[in-house]
Amino acid sequence: MDFERLNAYRIMWVIVMFDLPTETKAQRKIYAKFRKQILDDGFSMFQFSLYIRHCSSRENAEVHIQRVKKILPAKGHIGILNITDKQFGMMEIFRGKELIEAPLAPQQLELF
Amino acid sequence: MIKRTLYFGNPAYLKTQNEQLVVELPETSEQRTAAIEDIGLVVLDHQQITITQSVLAKLLENNTAVVTCNHTHHPTGLLLNLDGHTLQSQRFKYQVAATVPLQKQLWQQTVMAKITNQAHLLGQKQIANKTLFNLAAKVKSGDSDNCEAQAAAYYWKNLFPEFLNFKRFREGEPPNNLLNYGYAILRAVMARSLVGSGLLPTLGIFHRNQYNAYCLADDIMEPYRPYVDKIVGDIVRMNGRFLEMTPSMKQQLLAIPAMDVMINGEKSPLMNAIQRTTASLAKCFEGSSRKLLYPVLPTDIA
Repeated sequence: MDFERLNAYRIMWVIVMFDLPTETKAQRKIYAKFRKQILDDGFSMFQFSLYIRHCSSRENAEVHIQRVKKILPAKGHIGILNITDKQFGMMEIFRGKELIEAPLAPQQLELF
Repeated sequence: MIKRTLYFGNPAYLKTQNEQLVVELPETSEQRTAAIEDIGLVVLDHQQITITQSVLAKLLENNTAVVTCNHTHHPTGLLLNLDGHTLQSQRFKYQVAATVPLQKQLWQQTVMAKITNQAHLLGQKQIANKTLFNLAAKVKSGDSDNCEAQAAAYYWKNLFPEFLNFKRFREGEPPNNLLNYGYAILRAVMARSLVGSGLLPTLGIFHRNQYNAYCLADDIMEPYRPYVDKIVGDIVRMNGRFLEMTPSMKQQLLAIPAMDVMINGEKSPLMNAIQRTTASLAKCFEGSSRKLLYPVLPTDIA
């Protein structure tokens, strides 16, 4: 049986990196709202102000990039990056000096 | 996009937060999340699953098919949303008004596609399949000669190795249990897709049993059945006579929606192919097309 359509070159990860001003109460509110909205869209926190989302195809990644673009706050510095699962899998992650495992990619089929 | 399949076979508490499904597993005190809009199929197969109403509401809002199983682990029910498509009531009207000739033509195409796929599957196993190709070529409108049944008789006699003495019955000996399970998954995916295309899964073009709630799903999934048969065949090859359902068999059957199939000359996951089929069906009811799009099993690869 063949599962070629779900391979590491087609699966994408969208990474959203942001710096938003948090000087005033109003700014913090905007910040919290933006963060909540990307969480609702299925992103999860990788580091502070760095959120990642697994997308099972390029087209799907495009959908989520567009959604983030729609909710950009008026002020702030935001980067959106789109990489393949293959590239994402090559990332090395350290906690202190110790190499740790990358976050688990959601599988198309999961048995709980 | 291919949607995810989540299978719950252990005690779990399902709740929702931030439009995510949050899964708590009390046995390992683990917590996992999944974006609800990415989920296509949820199978609930344990007596100790607790699920909040807001999870159900959100799953249905996103047109997820929720399958519940009984204590024998067989699927018993399927939950689908009430408004799967913006033009739903218009589509329903066309579907109800479909003329008998159109229904018969659609059924003809369906049976032809099914028999052809059955023939290709036998071909993959190097079993003589000429009879089936001949049958497929002479299916009449509405399959008035009942080629489907003639093909089935030949197909089931030859599909599995002889030592199984296989007879296809719903309650029959294994691997009937595996086939039933696979078909139930397929039916859930099909019903979900029909709803997504704004069609009523209840109102069939050929199946008309008054006790069947998924006549149309049963009609349109016919050409997809050989894909399930293929996986069951693989399981039989691995396990011989020992065909009581095991978790690894379930895992293989639950992978059906992600299987690659050839449709319209393109490779696509089965779940997406089904969406194209139901979309083409909606077009047929609407009157803008007369051709159903079905996948073709390749003969050459084993």
